Amino acid sequence: MSPALVMTRVSKSFDGYPALTEAGFAAHPGEIHALLGENGAGKSTLMNVACGLYRPDAGEVRVRGELVSIDGPKAAKRLGIGMVHQHYRLVKAFTALENILLARGASRYGQGLREVEAAARRHCEALGFTLPLDRPVGLLSVAEQQRVEILKVLVEGARILILDEPSAVLTDREAEQMLDTMRRLADEGCAVILVTHKLGEVKRYADRVTVMRGGRTVASADPDALSLSDLTSLVVGAEVRHARVPARNVGAPLLRFAALAGARSDGLTVLNDATFVVRAGEIYGIAGVGGNGQTELAEILMGVRRPLAGSIELDGAGDLCAEGVRGRSVGLAAIPADRAGYALAGSLSIADNYAAGAVLSGRFGSWFRLDRRAIRAATEAAMAAFDVQGARSPNQRAGLLSGGNAQKLVVAREFADPPRAVLAHSPSRGLDVRAAGAVHARLRAARDAGAAILLISEDLDEVLLLSDRIGVMSRGRIVAEFETPAERNAVGAAMVHHA
Amino acid sequence: MDVPSKTVPQPVREARAGSHDGAARPSRRRGRLSIEIRQHASARLQGVVLAGGLLAGLTCAAAILLAAGVGLPNLVQEFVVSIVTSPESVAAVLVQGAPLAVVGLAAALAFRVRFWNIGIEGQMISGAIAATVVAIHDIGPPALRLPLMLAAAALGGSTWILGPVLLRLRIGLNEIISTLLLNYVAFNALLHLLYGPWRDPENNFPNSQLYEPFEQLAELGWQNLTWALPLAVALLLGGWWLLSVSRFGFLTRIAEANPRMGEAQGLPMTRVILAATLVSGALAGIAGFMICAGAEHRLTQSFASGYGFSGILIAFLARNSAPGVLVVALFVGTLFVAGQSLQVFYQIPASAVQLLQAVIVLCVAASDFFIRHRLRWLR
Repeated sequence: MSPALVMTRVSKSFDGYPALTEAGFAAHPGEIHALLGENGAGKSTLMNVACGLYRPDAGEVRVRGELVSIDGPKAAKRLGIGMVHQHYRLVKAFTALENILLARGASRYGQGLREVEAAARRHCEALGFTLPLDRPVGLLSVAEQQRVEILKVLVEGARILILDEPSAVLTDREAEQMLDTMRRLADEGCAVILVTHKLGEVKRYADRVTVMRGGRTVASADPDALSLSDLTSLVVGAEVRHARVPARNVGAPLLRFAALAGARSDGLTVLNDATFVVRAGEIYGIAGVGGNGQTELAEILMGVRRPLAGSIELDGAGDLCAEGVRGRSVGLAAIPADRAGYALAGSLSIADNYAAGAVLSGRFGSWFRLDRRAIRAATEAAMAAFDVQGARSPNQRAGLLSGGNAQKLVVAREFADPPRAVLAHSPSRGLDVRAAGAVHARLRAARDAGAAILLISEDLDEVLLLSDRIGVMSRGRIVAEFETPAERNAVGAAMVHHA
Repeated sequence: MDVPSKTVPQPVREARAGSHDGAARPSRRRGRLSIEIRQHASARLQGVVLAGGLLAGLTCAAAILLAAGVGLPNLVQEFVVSIVTSPESVAAVLVQGAPLAVVGLAAALAFRVRFWNIGIEGQMISGAIAATVVAIHDIGPPALRLPLMLAAAALGGSTWILGPVLLRLRIGLNEIISTLLLNYVAFNALLHLLYGPWRDPENNFPNSQLYEPFEQLAELGWQNLTWALPLAVALLLGGWWLLSVSRFGFLTRIAEANPRMGEAQGLPMTRVILAATLVSGALAGIAGFMICAGAEHRLTQSFASGYGFSGILIAFLARNSAPGVLVVALFVGTLFVAGQSLQVFYQIPASAVQLLQAVIVLCVAASDFFIRHRLRWLR
């Protein structure tokens, strides 16, 4: 069978910085093809070339054997290429149907809507989607929004589907459903391209895997022929160990959450009577299905949301929720899940972002005069110590760092002073194996230095790997606690049964 | 990478997709323009691009004036020769430029914390009314009268902005609407005073009594320059320190870029936004005082007219920096002065002068694209 999409010797650089170097890729109808690689390996760039968002500097693209020049998303659509981006491109106030219509285009609203509805219902039925098509997508869950995105490209008639990190924000079960759907589409003759760095998914679902490293394609193989460690070493170029390192010296309770209650921005109470302690020198992992109060717990601890009731006592510093107490000044470090929202200012320089953490301490000059030289020197030192790459100078905008490097910058800032307590909320979300490993090592080092570490993650593997004790959060409270090593199934059952 | 292909490639066409002609073009064209995001623009590049934008704007402006019948030699005479050579013109530019610089700084401070202060004119009026209260009611000894008027003007200006700031911080009320509408409240209050209790008893005109000599900003002794100019210079110096040197300036940039991050970092974002906007209002009030006590010597109906727009424009062109405000204020001052003689000697309407300003602003604003992007011709 003729390949659906072939890309040969594709190169692309941004401002002289090469993102792709003679990369090649071929996907066939009927297969799920995984595109695997670290952050910044060039996976998304290559796929953005395929869907017309970037134009390559060199190289050729063939669709179903025909040489094409994809000079925009519309051209890609006409060629039957559809992409589901990592960050969904949806208008939140529009219904699912309106979003699909917006992407497809129609000369008449009413008629277009009817056509889209018929097509969408047909696809929903074929794929077994249950989806409220006439509700604003802002009210849908993340998994449902993803389904809207998938419907969008299907209604446009895509036969080559590209999904960029589709399971990053889904729970295990949702991800399984999504991947089963992809299997079905592939069986119908679509070519499905799965951009991912989850090795397990590749092993379980992919018919073929192409591995990228440093902007080049380094291998293309049958995943069944490769072991997990083979794949890992292809991705990172070197072997990475996944081993639990238990805490050595656990001390007295340091961080006490007492009957904490909190509400979401829309007023719904989602955190209810959350009570638990984190001891010095341990990592306390909170597992749970997303939306059970974890985000609000993190926001209250960071001091950006006020609790409805309850307290968070940090030993020796009093109630962190009290008026005028700032967690940061008493030794709290925070790695928020929403990097763009709470952790970094993308339009400011790396140096400014780094300095934001300690600017009030006087280390970077007095109130009268800010010491820019000290900021620059400290930032350069931190970037070297924490291996922040991809920037030419500390004056470069932080928004241009890749996900992994941006997270390293956050960790560098938060751990500039040895913290007494750490909040790590999905610290490796969207990070590749190596960057995630670096962040995990920093968390362990802080723990072994005696800090109390609260890890909140929707990635159960991460919780199981890092935690010394595990609390399962459901409907806003801790419903079960496990000593580690814990049984994966037991923790998973506690997550689901209380939901 | 090798592509396993055993069969002859056969294009499969989608029924819905129709023809591929739009997309599957053979490489007929010789090259194409590529737009890329620039990762880092050096200060020199930014300067060159801005200068280019300014030049393009000036060229357009000159073209408009030429089309309106002003000859090229006359244009050079009015905009360059007479501004540079005649002391009267230099003085006129400086007199115009001083309050412009202060309103520009006022706008820049508010914009630096993403507070869109459209109410500069209202704050100027409020400040000037407060200063006139001090003057009319003879508050304080004559020697301290001017400083008291200055303080009253600053207080009046920040009072006028306090409501919009608190409403924005507490309930998220859009400050563009509230500050804009408060302009009309201030203006009508001014008219009420000038047509009512403060009407000049000597000639019954709707403006306040002339200030006493010690309530007027004294002349410096060269042309018609007054102490308004040194005051503006001092305020600009202070603004430069505040925005570019002090820790507060750093905090304003975080408030501008991502206040949620600042909040999560334990930085007092609310207080920074409050302080910056109150200083912005105070500066606008002081600008009102400068015009009343320095040029008009009384409270008039239209002393603030047009300054709000100019302040926004100056802050925008100056990219919210104090040295930039100085340069742009002098530039806009030149435009005003030259525009006045254009009106008198060449019958160019006043609105044409505004048109020139707008054209120049648009060109400089558009040049920003070249700082953020790089254009390349690919073959």
